[in-house]
Amino acid sequence: MKKKVLSLALTFALAVSMLAGCGTKEEKNAEPAATETTAKKGTMPAIKKEDLKIGVIHITDPAEGSGYTYTHDLGIQGMQKNIGLEDSQIIRKNNTSDQDAVAIQTAIEECIEQGCNVIFATSWGYMDTVEAMAKEYPDVIFSHGTGYKCNGKNFNNYFGRIYQARYLSGIAAGMKTTTNKIGYVAAMDKQNSEVTGGLDAFAMGIYSVNPDAKVYVKVTNSWFDPEAEASAAEALIAQGCDVIGQHCDTSNPMTAAQAAGVYGVGYNSDMSKDAPNAVLTSTMWDWSAYYTAAVQQIIDGTWDATNYFGGMKEGLVKIAPLSNLCVDGTKEKIEEVQNKILSGEWDVFTGVIETNDGKTVGEEGKSLDDATITGGINWYFKNVVEP
Amino acid sequence: METAKTPVNAIECKGITKRFGTVVANDHIDLSVKQGEILALLGENGSGKTTLMNMLSGIYHPDEGAIFINGEEVRIESPNDAQSLGIGMIHQHFKLVEVFTAAQNIVLGTKEKLEKPKVMQQKIATICNKFGLEVDSNKKIYDMSVSEKQTVEILKVLYRGAKILILDEPTAVLTPQETEKLFSILRKMKEQGNSIIIITHKLNEVLDISDRVTILRKGKSIETVNTKDCDVSSLTELMVGRAVSLEIDRPENKEKQAILKCVDLTIDSLDGTKGIEDVNFEIRTGEILGIAGVAGSGQKELCEGIAGLLPVKKGAILYKKENIVGKKPLEIINLGISMSFVPEDRLGMGLVASMGMTDNVLLKSYNKGRGPFINRKPAKKLAQELVKKLDIVTPSIETPVRLMSGGNVQKVLLGREIESSPNVLITAYPVRGLDINSSYTIYNLLNEQKMKNVAVIYVGEDLDVLLELCDNIMVMCHGKVTGIVNAKKTTKEQLGMLMTGQEIKEVAKDE
Amino acid sequence: MSSTETNAKKQNRFTLRTVKRAQLPKNKVAMLRLAALLMALLAGAVFIMIIGSNPFAVYKTMVEGALRSKLAIYGTIKIMIPLLITSLGITLAFKMKFWNVGGEGQIIMGALFASYFGIFHGDWPHAVLIPVMFLAGMLGGGLTGLLPAYFKAKYNTNETLFTLMLNYIALNLVIFLREGPWADPTSPGYKKFALFTENGRLDKVFGVHAGWIIALVLLILTFIYLKYTKHGYEIDVVGESTATAGYAGMNVKKIILRTMFISGAICGIAGMIEVSGNAGTMSEGVTRGVGFTAIIVAWLAGLKPWSIFIISALFSIMEKGSSVVESTFGLSAACADVLQGIILFFVIGCEFFIRFKVTISKKGGTN
Repeated sequence: MKKKVLSLALTFALAVSMLAGCGTKEEKNAEPAATETTAKKGTMPAIKKEDLKIGVIHITDPAEGSGYTYTHDLGIQGMQKNIGLEDSQIIRKNNTSDQDAVAIQTAIEECIEQGCNVIFATSWGYMDTVEAMAKEYPDVIFSHGTGYKCNGKNFNNYFGRIYQARYLSGIAAGMKTTTNKIGYVAAMDKQNSEVTGGLDAFAMGIYSVNPDAKVYVKVTNSWFDPEAEASAAEALIAQGCDVIGQHCDTSNPMTAAQAAGVYGVGYNSDMSKDAPNAVLTSTMWDWSAYYTAAVQQIIDGTWDATNYFGGMKEGLVKIAPLSNLCVDGTKEKIEEVQNKILSGEWDVFTGVIETNDGKTVGEEGKSLDDATITGGINWYFKNVVEP
Repeated sequence: METAKTPVNAIECKGITKRFGTVVANDHIDLSVKQGEILALLGENGSGKTTLMNMLSGIYHPDEGAIFINGEEVRIESPNDAQSLGIGMIHQHFKLVEVFTAAQNIVLGTKEKLEKPKVMQQKIATICNKFGLEVDSNKKIYDMSVSEKQTVEILKVLYRGAKILILDEPTAVLTPQETEKLFSILRKMKEQGNSIIIITHKLNEVLDISDRVTILRKGKSIETVNTKDCDVSSLTELMVGRAVSLEIDRPENKEKQAILKCVDLTIDSLDGTKGIEDVNFEIRTGEILGIAGVAGSGQKELCEGIAGLLPVKKGAILYKKENIVGKKPLEIINLGISMSFVPEDRLGMGLVASMGMTDNVLLKSYNKGRGPFINRKPAKKLAQELVKKLDIVTPSIETPVRLMSGGNVQKVLLGREIESSPNVLITAYPVRGLDINSSYTIYNLLNEQKMKNVAVIYVGEDLDVLLELCDNIMVMCHGKVTGIVNAKKTTKEQLGMLMTGQEIKEVAKDE
Repeated sequence: MSSTETNAKKQNRFTLRTVKRAQLPKNKVAMLRLAALLMALLAGAVFIMIIGSNPFAVYKTMVEGALRSKLAIYGTIKIMIPLLITSLGITLAFKMKFWNVGGEGQIIMGALFASYFGIFHGDWPHAVLIPVMFLAGMLGGGLTGLLPAYFKAKYNTNETLFTLMLNYIALNLVIFLREGPWADPTSPGYKKFALFTENGRLDKVFGVHAGWIIALVLLILTFIYLKYTKHGYEIDVVGESTATAGYAGMNVKKIILRTMFISGAICGIAGMIEVSGNAGTMSEGVTRGVGFTAIIVAWLAGLKPWSIFIISALFSIMEKGSSVVESTFGLSAACADVLQGIILFFVIGCEFFIRFKVTISKKGGTN
């Protein structure tokens, strides 16, 4: 499903366009686009809390939810609670196909027609249409998730550093494995920076606690393919993997792990509800962190149309509580690293990193810049075994 | 009042009514057939004969009325019900599987189809002997003549134990000789105690075969009479509702000039089979050339070949000495050759059922005049003229022709062709299904054209009409011309022999 | 005798039978249709109550949602434009009894041809690019219509299957082009078509893209074409009987080819308008099922252009209204679809009762 196509697009071009399009006030490449919430003046006038009306465009229905829309909607609900908005101040447009520009337009226009002054569009495929609509309705604030475009006035993008959480979950996996074989069901191949970066972070987390373990990868080439995800996991288990990680939409790899009596690390939401006897932890999004911050900025008049790229520090990404299945000492180890990340003392892609084809990436004492992280990771960490 | 065990009447219908939309096809019809009797059902086309019989055979269901078979009230829900009641219907169009043999067709759908071929053939042979039927049970249907196919149809219903036979216009496709044979079979069946209903509009046959006649007119049963008390004119009067003169004019036009000549004309029909083969004839202005032959003898291919609708395989069509083979239909129309073919469904070709008279009159001339737009004014005027001239009955000239009666529809068709002032007027079955009065209007129109020095080709079914109307008659059999004879000096029997491909002593053409 | 007895036993049941009706007077037809509409609303109301909403509020929102403001009306019009155009397009084919169910494919191909210029020649001046895209759209749709017509005329293939299958071919062609040859080079991670430049976008006239003007012009042209031209007359005749048409000297094959080209071309225009006026680029979902909805519209309208205008307007109002109902009442899309289905069921079912009546028949029909 294309909806899940969170961020395939964060490639080199992204970096270019992100900076060309939005970075007008910032010349430096490496600077994270807009994470600071200082009291600077925003690009749009403030909107009073009671005047706010927020339109949310979803690709599926949160109720019938594929984790993805469900987590985004949880974020909206969290924001509503945090800010204290009435139910009537939020209008949802569900099942808006990202393959139908007119449906997206209609959904957005219906929101505007019903008085919305803020639009959150949660799926990647809405990006171009939202950009065009932002131009057409300059008085409305548009915020689009998981893409990369912004216009410096009333249209921005939001996304996050899920790789941080993956590193931490890698620690749990690396400590748990006894066969020293860990599987990973990847939605996209090596060229996809989002998936590959996440996998590398996971592998690096494993390496940090268990240098002997290898990570075996299976690619499904789809963001959402329940059958392929299950069979990929089964194949990995057959190869001897006793912990399964995943970057795909359904919880099938986890249930497959549980069925085979091995363990796993879930994604999107806490998948211990799906496979309580297998899941060590899960890497999760908490979109309410962004939604709350963004709406607060809008109320304060400080919202500006630059891209948001939040991480654990902002509370946008996290890992689920560790289950009892984790080996002793896991919690302490994870907390230690987590503190370093939260304090900004250290981040995942820091220093010289060895790849599995014998090359190196990065420089001593420096971290990879965001443009590279989002668009330029097309190598596997040295303990990764390619399919 | 008889006191026999079996009831007097094999079939009795009381107050049968059937409506199709606004049309009342059967209006409280009463009808009875005694045991061992042949009843002729007589009526003009559209008088409701076929509808009534379809109700007896379970195809339609009456809206009102009751049907009694052998004295017992029944409801005939389906052809299967009819069969179990002993009713068998022979339709106008045969329902046979062409690639099967006669025997296979006969047993098709019965339990006996599983029996040994020998047993089946034995059974078929018994039935044949009983009624004097002749059939080669191993012959495939596609190899059979129309009359043989009909025999198979009859065997089919007898095999299923039919005691009551209904035949819908069985003679329409037969030559006079074949008709005679059929009749003798029917008489034999009657002798064995079967009851038979025969639908026909040929009065001579009615007089020949039936014991009693029930006459339908406009969906009502008018009267039932004993055949021996009737003659042609009394039956006609009952059928039409008034006395009708039955003479057809044959005026003489002295100025005759050759205009159309076919030389060795060979044309395949649409399905690739042989249509006509080596046909040679000539027609002159001021004469009517009749074309006789059992249905499907190549009449259609001949007409369509001349009109340019079918490709000519061999030979030439010389129109005023110019070969028109290979010309497009439109060019041929523009040359002044008009063709109107009334097919069995009567509307299929030549008229557009859903259109009114105006648009139908336009059909062959719509393309005249420049520009992309159509000019309906002249057509409208012409349609109004036709209504007046030919006494066409229609609510308005914009009323779809399918809502008009058959006679009026055919007047529109012929009127249009005539108004295009053709030099050659080819008309096939123009009186097909028409009542007697309308038929005579059509004959008069054709004669009128003849006197205006138009060469008229008349393809007809009714040999009596052909003999009275035409100057010469060309007889076709299996796509070949078996003779061209002078209508004034020929008898029906001679035509019948030619129709089956037999040689007769040449009858001089009218020169 | 025994068979007669068993037969007689069967006689005592009642059976329902449909009987063709006499042509009803106009006011009675209108009454029937009104009754059908009321029943549809009633049945819909029951459904709405079952799912726990207030039917009056839902219906009110449905109408309001489609018409209450400028923006709402614009939205409705945008839904209506391709529906109206496509209905007109397939009407030409349907009049000829050529069952063109390939509206989807023709829209897609029209959109694709137009998009070629929109994507690769966005630098051309607006005044050149738009007409070129328009013609390309016509050509794309037209050729897609021509293909099944050619095989029909030449080999008498079944046009229903042929046009239907072309829909899928067209759809997968779009996906193929999106995945590779035409993929937006600025978006290598995620395959999509690039947006058109402003030059390739239809202008807005009174708030809605100029597609509405094209639709109205096509409406009038189709009406004139069918009613007052020789071509229109030929279509009528061929539709009634190809034998009659041939007999009248018409070149039936040529008429089939020509008409299907035009039919497809009109659908192609709808595709061009969607990409240029509405979406701003090609996409897999460009048709939104219009090619199929148009079949219902054309039939309900009796293939009459003015009725098509009205019916497609009603359909668009219903669709737009449902979408507002969905978000206002938090209904799922499936609920709105069920509601639409109920309304359609009654409206289309009513047409059956205008043509037929159902009678109960008893023994031989007597008493």
